[in-house]
Amino acid sequence: MTSPDSTAVLCTGIRKHFGEDDARVEVLRGVDYTVRRGELSFLVGPSGCGKTTLISIIAGLQETSSGEVSLFGNHLARMPHPERVLFRRCHLGFVFQQYNLLQALTAAENAAIPLLAAGVRRREAVDRAATLLDRLGLGSKTGSFPRQLSGGQQQRVALARALVHEPRLIICDEPTAALDHATGEAVMELLASAAVHPDRAVIVVTHDSRVFHFADVIARMDDGHITHVEPGQRTVANPHLGSSRNSHPSA
Amino acid sequence: MNWVGLQMLRNDRAKFAAMIVAVSLAVFLMQNQAAILATMLSMTAAQIRDVQDADLWVTEPDVECFDQVKPMRDIQLLRVRGVAGIAWAAPLLKIDAIGRSEGGRLNTVTLLGIDDASLAGLPQKMRIGRADAIRELDTAIIDPGGHELFFPGEPFRAGRSVRIRNRRLRIVGVSDIAAPFTGLPMLHTSRSTAAAFNLGEQHMTSFILARSAPGGNSGEICQKINTLGGLRARTTEQFAADAMWFYGSQGVPMLFMVTITIGLIVGAAITGQTFLMFIKENARPISMLKVVGTTDRQLGTMILLQGAVVLVLGSCFGSGIAAAVCNVIRTQPFLRSLYLPWEIALGTCFALASVTGIALYASFRHVRGLEPAAVFR
Repeated sequence: MTSPDSTAVLCTGIRKHFGEDDARVEVLRGVDYTVRRGELSFLVGPSGCGKTTLISIIAGLQETSSGEVSLFGNHLARMPHPERVLFRRCHLGFVFQQYNLLQALTAAENAAIPLLAAGVRRREAVDRAATLLDRLGLGSKTGSFPRQLSGGQQQRVALARALVHEPRLIICDEPTAALDHATGEAVMELLASAAVHPDRAVIVVTHDSRVFHFADVIARMDDGHITHVEPGQRTVANPHLGSSRNSHPSA
Repeated sequence: MNWVGLQMLRNDRAKFAAMIVAVSLAVFLMQNQAAILATMLSMTAAQIRDVQDADLWVTEPDVECFDQVKPMRDIQLLRVRGVAGIAWAAPLLKIDAIGRSEGGRLNTVTLLGIDDASLAGLPQKMRIGRADAIRELDTAIIDPGGHELFFPGEPFRAGRSVRIRNRRLRIVGVSDIAAPFTGLPMLHTSRSTAAAFNLGEQHMTSFILARSAPGGNSGEICQKINTLGGLRARTTEQFAADAMWFYGSQGVPMLFMVTITIGLIVGAAITGQTFLMFIKENARPISMLKVVGTTDRQLGTMILLQGAVVLVLGSCFGSGIAAAVCNVIRTQPFLRSLYLPWEIALGTCFALASVTGIALYASFRHVRGLEPAAVFR
């Protein structure tokens, strides 16, 4: 059994539908999903199974039709909208399939966006982001614009943007989908080494079975349910999970 | 985050430039047309305001502007002089006649006959010559536009003459008065000289210029004169305002207002639409900003700042162009009075900002309505 303190994300009975009556589409049909602190959890499944809707709900970007989401003990649905935005700003980081970098900003400036949104002074924010980019192997590219970077480099900038404000939960949506195998591996390697932290959880939504070996836990979704949760075969042992690695509550 | 917004705006150079050009052109068009209108209206009062030694104008009761002349009997001058609080009063004679230069150029001219004794109403500023030289019989000073009409392209020079009704009027100077609304040459001469051209007219007074005594209230003095009957006294500014209202109420301003309104609508529409397009094309980055925790307030400020930058830059360029064009036009002698009041410059920019504000609000509503989760799709 896992203690409540070790739980990062707890979804219970999540249901979500769009439209009403004949146009009603049930996307999530009672999802129970748990991610522990320090865990790299993969959410996998076919297109349209509800993965993206589930992470949108976890991130507080969409409301549930029913069910509860708790992030580190905070119930997002009970928070007023402005408070939810602030919570997201402080505690969540995001990596997107299409990177979503601002073309007008340099790599360091892009990576600094969460800090700028939080009101950190520009120079300090960019300096912190540049330091992080250096750690991610992009020290020579901090002043480059997205159009001057390769796909893998852009995704590393996006990763820096997700990490720069030291969030407690990182949500990655198909981070390797637009990359070739080698670059995808490298990005996942970086994600696994830089993002995983004892007080942080990482959720990766992916189709890319070639990177499944990075997962601590793989939750398989189909038709709005989590059908199966299995331990991953992480090639590098995750020191933050310790002995509880094979006793996942969702399993 | 404001800085991020500015970088986004700067990065989309085509739209940024298009918006600035649209604002500049709209501001230029509005300011130019409004300046011409303001100048035209002020020109209707230019000859009234040019008289600076008097502060009261007395006319027949139904006279509304400087170009309406109704001769007054000489007794009226004595009646005005008899009013308590009047320091002095002097007659001014205005005649329209046909003049011909030595080179044979014909023009209708306005002759202003200044009181020989007091020289009240004499131009204060001269381009060349001395104004009081008109004391000499059959001399006159001419305005720059009149000089150009009679002696086109020639430098200002005293000693030329203009023939009116078979009498030669020698030009002894060029005045620096404001351009008249009629565009006719303005010849200042002595009243005794002018009277010689006023054939068939018994009364030699068109207006009475008066000065209130030191410490006197010009408004009260006007009332006293008005109670005499058969006279209408106004301060210089009242008479100028009446003249502008008289011409202004004849429909010309409406024609200008149509152009100004078109400038406003077209400028605001192009700016607003381009701005809205800019925001819509940046929907995905903006959604990303919302996902990472940028608040609606921050995004609203960002949009406001982007709009403000476009409006300020466009307004500065537009106003600069309008002022430059105005200065170029002013070099023409007939258009020397063209001016761009700061109230017009500020008012047009404010009007454009107000209408473009609607587009900014629409953009903000669009941003507020953006579904942040769309960034995952």
